[in-house]
Amino acid sequence: MIALPWRPAALGLLLLVLPLAAPAQPVHPAQDGPPALTARGPDASELELQRALQGGRIEGRVTIPDRQAASLVQPAGRDWRVFHNRTLVWIGGIAILGMLAILAAFYLIRGRIRPSSGLSGRTVLRFNLLERANHWMVAASFIVLALSGLNLTFGRHLLLPVIGPEAFATLSLWGKIAHNFLAFPFTLGIVVMLLLWVRDNLPNRTDWAWVRAGGGFLGGAHPAAGRFNAGQKLVFWITILGGALVAASGYMLMFPFAVTDVAGMQLSHIVHGVLAMLMIAAMLAHIYIGSLGMEGAFSAMSNGRVDYNWAKEHHSLWLEEEVARAGEAAGAPRSAKAAGAD
Amino acid sequence: MARMKFLCDAERCIECNACVTACKNEHQVPWGINRRRVVTLNDGRPGERSISMACMHCTDAPCAAVCPVACFYTTADHVVLHDKDLCIGCGYCFYACPFGAPQYPRVGNFGGRGKMDKCTYCAGGPQQDNSHAEYLQYGSNRLAEGKLPLCAEMCSTKALLAGDGEIIATIYRERVQQRGYGSGAWGWRTAYKEVPQV
Amino acid sequence: MLIRRSEARAARQRLSEAYRGLSAGGLGRRGFLRQAGLGAAGLAALGSLAPGRAEAAGAMGVIDHAQPVQRIKNLCTHCSVGCTVIAEVQNGVWVGQEPAWESPINRGTHCAKGAAVRELVSGERRLKYPMKLVDGEWRRLSWDQAIEEIGAGLLRIREQSGPDAVFWLGSAKFSNEGAYLFRKMAAFWGTNSADHQARICHSTTVAGVANTWGYGAQTNSYNDIRNSRTIIIIGGNPAEAHPVSMQHVLAGRELNRANLIVFDPRFTRTAAHATEYVRIRPGTDIPIAWGLLWHVFRNGWEDKEFIRSRVYGMEEVRKEVERWTPQEVERVTGVPPAQMERVARLLATEKPATVVWCMGATQKTVGTANVRALCALLLATGNIGAEGTGANIFRGHCNVQGATDAGLDVVTLPYYYGLDENAWRHWCRVWEVDYDWMLSRFASKKLMETPGIPTTRWFDATLLPPDQIEQPSPLKAMMVFGHGGNTVTRMPDMVKGLEALEMLVVADPHPTTYAQVAPRRNNTWLLPICTQFETSGSRTASNRSLQWGERIVAPIFESKDDYEVLYLLARRLGFAEPMFKNIRVENNHPSPEDILREINRGSLSTGYSGQSPERLKLHMANQQHFDLVTLRGKEGTPVAGDYYGLPWPCWGTPEMKHPGSHILYNTNLHVKEGGGTFRARFGVERNGETLLAEGSFSKGSEIQDGYPEFTVALLKRLGWYEELTEHEREVIRRIGGENEDRVSWSTDLSFGIIRVAMEHGCVPYGNAKARALAWNLPDPVPVHREPIYTPRTDLLPPRDLMAVGGGTATPPPGTYPALPDRRGFRLPVEYQSRQLRSFDVARDYPIILTSGRLVEYEGGGEETRSNKWLAELQQDMFVEINPADAQARGIRDGQWVQVRGPEMPEGRWVRVKALVTERVGRGVAFMPFHFGGWFMGEDRRRFYPPGTDPIVLGESVNAVTTYGYDPVTGMQETKVTLCQIRAA
Repeated sequence: MIALPWRPAALGLLLLVLPLAAPAQPVHPAQDGPPALTARGPDASELELQRALQGGRIEGRVTIPDRQAASLVQPAGRDWRVFHNRTLVWIGGIAILGMLAILAAFYLIRGRIRPSSGLSGRTVLRFNLLERANHWMVAASFIVLALSGLNLTFGRHLLLPVIGPEAFATLSLWGKIAHNFLAFPFTLGIVVMLLLWVRDNLPNRTDWAWVRAGGGFLGGAHPAAGRFNAGQKLVFWITILGGALVAASGYMLMFPFAVTDVAGMQLSHIVHGVLAMLMIAAMLAHIYIGSLGMEGAFSAMSNGRVDYNWAKEHHSLWLEEEVARAGEAAGAPRSAKAAGAD
Repeated sequence: MARMKFLCDAERCIECNACVTACKNEHQVPWGINRRRVVTLNDGRPGERSISMACMHCTDAPCAAVCPVACFYTTADHVVLHDKDLCIGCGYCFYACPFGAPQYPRVGNFGGRGKMDKCTYCAGGPQQDNSHAEYLQYGSNRLAEGKLPLCAEMCSTKALLAGDGEIIATIYRERVQQRGYGSGAWGWRTAYKEVPQV
Repeated sequence: MLIRRSEARAARQRLSEAYRGLSAGGLGRRGFLRQAGLGAAGLAALGSLAPGRAEAAGAMGVIDHAQPVQRIKNLCTHCSVGCTVIAEVQNGVWVGQEPAWESPINRGTHCAKGAAVRELVSGERRLKYPMKLVDGEWRRLSWDQAIEEIGAGLLRIREQSGPDAVFWLGSAKFSNEGAYLFRKMAAFWGTNSADHQARICHSTTVAGVANTWGYGAQTNSYNDIRNSRTIIIIGGNPAEAHPVSMQHVLAGRELNRANLIVFDPRFTRTAAHATEYVRIRPGTDIPIAWGLLWHVFRNGWEDKEFIRSRVYGMEEVRKEVERWTPQEVERVTGVPPAQMERVARLLATEKPATVVWCMGATQKTVGTANVRALCALLLATGNIGAEGTGANIFRGHCNVQGATDAGLDVVTLPYYYGLDENAWRHWCRVWEVDYDWMLSRFASKKLMETPGIPTTRWFDATLLPPDQIEQPSPLKAMMVFGHGGNTVTRMPDMVKGLEALEMLVVADPHPTTYAQVAPRRNNTWLLPICTQFETSGSRTASNRSLQWGERIVAPIFESKDDYEVLYLLARRLGFAEPMFKNIRVENNHPSPEDILREINRGSLSTGYSGQSPERLKLHMANQQHFDLVTLRGKEGTPVAGDYYGLPWPCWGTPEMKHPGSHILYNTNLHVKEGGGTFRARFGVERNGETLLAEGSFSKGSEIQDGYPEFTVALLKRLGWYEELTEHEREVIRRIGGENEDRVSWSTDLSFGIIRVAMEHGCVPYGNAKARALAWNLPDPVPVHREPIYTPRTDLLPPRDLMAVGGGTATPPPGTYPALPDRRGFRLPVEYQSRQLRSFDVARDYPIILTSGRLVEYEGGGEETRSNKWLAELQQDMFVEINPADAQARGIRDGQWVQVRGPEMPEGRWVRVKALVTERVGRGVAFMPFHFGGWFMGEDRRRFYPPGTDPIVLGESVNAVTTYGYDPVTGMQETKVTLCQIRAA
């Protein structure tokens, strides 16, 4: 698979962003800060300025049970606004457009990758029905989640002027509802995916060789790989870890203030937004290589079978294991079938 | 045109919550939605001050800036309003608002938010002034009747002032000069990027 | 969407222009939105499925701007400030509430309660029709049936046990007319056991103040506080209990740069605005007053001329004050000497100064003495009877002053006439009934002239052995109008009393605690009464101003107003004809105007005689013409010269056009302009010393010295008798009979004596000295007495001294026990024998428990806790506990805790939320008193009639509070007891 050239930059941006959202401890005016408290009590303007500089909140007591109401002024909202309106737009823009640009360039340079020895016509089962169904459940929900999510960041500027406010609002509302509901199949799929594929995605020595060989994209020879090569493992772990984090932060947003306060909500949104943008970019690459970018790859997730030659080139070690297993169990009809005899 | 603002004189505010129930009464705001609230700082200690807080109708309103569906608009009196027909209840305005003004009815699934509700400065919504439809969605439109927000009008100690920013700043200034002290206009620096000169 | 002020219009234009390509253009905002976009109509239809709007217009009316709106003025039914409420009404529905800018009292403003009163008449949780308990189930019944059953039940009990077996509990929520009618009802029924909330809020104020200078009321007004340069608030928290009064207090503080000094065990919302806050140990008000006076006398700051000419007995006070050295004050109260001196200096030197007090001073076993000590403070410093001075007593309920005046009290007939034969004969003349017939209504002449049973003790009169109750029978039935059941202390005992009653009738807009707190299964009726917004009548604010409230809407559901229900009951009981002789009754509705006219005719003693319905209505219609500070009607207006609301005393007939008295005892004004002197109520001399004023008199008085109250005899001696008209003399002759000379200004139904006295610039009630020494009270000069349950057992005498024969009357120096045991109000009252328990209790119950108000709720709270706008703001009963005490008990802010008092049944606790705060000092806890519906850990919501349970329920503090009664008025002790708190 591919390296992500913009990743260091994106991480850097993320690091820049996070301090803004560092959990701002509510500050009780009288407990500290000599300038805050005059004989008559804190001066509004000074205290606001001070809190704004410190990123702290001005908090007091309210009688209503809504704890959020006890915060009088939360200057962190300003930082979150900057994040949402500027930082996230830039991160998303660079990540997604950058990825598209890279993929386009790659396509122009390398064209569609075909098995060097052509297709053999013999296929081998790569993903069973459960694996494929789960993949597509995750994929489908991810796409809707991604689009409805992107809409919240970019729609106002891109889509609203085109379709008008009422249609856009309705679309966005349904997007929000879909986003909330599809979170559940997405999360379920991530969990199932982890259970199904974690064994084959544990990094091992072969991965190092694969990476050194540039995955065969740059040089001619295909490095050896097991069921999943290092690039795919990267996608897997991006999906699992990123997905878990995005899901966790998403649930925080979905159940507002259930476990956190406004600072936590802002942080959740930042984590959710940044990771989602990065995942979208990563998934674009995944989609590209799984469809347009490589001949013979898509069928693995459509009918579950891949061409023998394709498998040999990209997953030689896995193919050997499969063949060996098929040989051992030659007498068993079920295994023979699984071994992919014509 | 006036530039409408709120100013809470914390030296006068006694947390009587009249502003809160006046608001509920005027607009029949349902349980759980608090367009206005009173926060007490330093509760029970010398220097204790209570401040009535609602939407401040900010200059360069953060809610409007972050709204993904751009449902906010600003009236000629600089009242920051929003269109509930467009609002999708995403909650972003709450994260951006310095004052915790946006409120969301709990509807639907999970902690699902309904369409945002907030102080309208008693100026209704985008529908025709004082129409039934406007009342149902936003409450009454006192501004269109030539009246000011009821919370300020009914404030027991006249701590909460509403009206043109320059006028209420003048009232506040005169008060501070008269009595010789004042703890400042809460939220002004944040909302209006200025403080009343006293 | 950054839109600047100057560009606002243009910016909105731009917004619409952005979409113009997609719309027809030139449309309004809604138009272009509707037409904009792709398939907008279809999507919009989907959009309507989405989560709906925040607002849901309930049963409540919504204003229709196309229709005309009627504006009706009534008054807030909560506290005693007397805020005008302006209702907007369309088609008989109350659709909006507007600020009443014209009212000089509230000037448009309200507190949380006042701003939410409209909810009361939508009344989702109101009692909707008469109900009764049948074997533990609530059943609906008709009004006719209810009145029939109740009337028959009452008559049966009267037959069996006599009229004193029925307890008539009225309300400070009545209008003046309702309160008066209720008192009249009790009289016609034949008992003096007719009481109301004044017993448990300011009865000790009334007794203490009246015993000092004549009348039991606030001497000045809320507005007048704007003139004060020093304001001392002791035992009061107006910021939460009387928020609108704070408008005047804070304005006064700002305008005059006045000193605002708050004495309180709690750092209240009021204290937060004070220039000086003094934290005291609960129950030490007298040491505070004497401690201040110690500095005043020591430094010669007292007003010597004032004391000489207008005060009796200050020397006795001085003797008691000498005991209260700064060290002793600090030992007992905890207040450092320097702070006491500072406050004393301000009070005595930065004048005018006023003292404000509320239930922190009054709801004590020493309530009356507290009040008198505070009066002495004012008298010694000459801070009474002038602008900016005075005892500004903030009363509690909207008409608690008026209901007290109307004699809804166990010790007097209406308007403080007392209960002696003269009083009865006076009122029989006013009512035009025969005195002998009235006598026949009572069990005996003795009981007719004996104070009745107070609301604080009614259950003792049900439960105690009959030989301890000085009447033929214990209480068997209770008629409760507008009164919560959780307002009296010792609720566990009260519940037993309720259980023992043969008959219980609750007439109220809500079922109240009475309906559900006891395990009653039968013989319990609920009558739906409407609020004062659904009827008309006058109410007296704390400053003695009367205001007329006009009916806003007709009574909702099947509710009826007090007048009608009392009429129906009187009719069933067989005395409607004599009782309503002079009151027009149409369609079972007695006319409140006629009732007020009857009050006018009979209430000479208190000056409720000039406030005719016509004059009151004129004031309400011309509120804008009154001055904010002096409350005087401006020249050239229909109310020129009048004080707003004709604050009593408003002498003479309405035709005499007395303007009312804004400030009592103000000698700087002519009596016809509202001036006055201290009342000559206690004779002319004592032990050879005159009780009349010396060289002090009100402006324009022809008698330039003290004088007794006016009688025919006095008129004759002065040679003014001839100035009476023939008609007046005729009336006086008829009244006086043989003893014409003894007819006084207060019984002369012709008003002639008052008229003549005022012609000569004299105050009808005389011109006396105020009494710093009240010899008729248990403590003629107030002395400190520790609360019944005190943590400071070191301030009590040795145990054995207190244990003998009900206690010692002569305690050793440096000890401050309660009074010896005694009797009062037909019942035994324990003092030292109960106080003895402190020695055993103080160890296990180390925290002082005090109680008070929240701004959102009022009284027992059934009404306000049923109001959704208010209930949302206080959803849980709580106990305030100091962080140090909380930490020692492992209690976190907001968690459930249990609280227990020393008199609660074994093993029972109340369950409340902890509010950990420095508002209370270490060793002190505070609980609000408005909650009910839970009882000692049990949620009793299911026992309310369905649909009438208040939104918020909670434990009542009075499940924890304990024994203790003021000897003069039977006031209960709510402010100091002991408790233990533990994490739940």
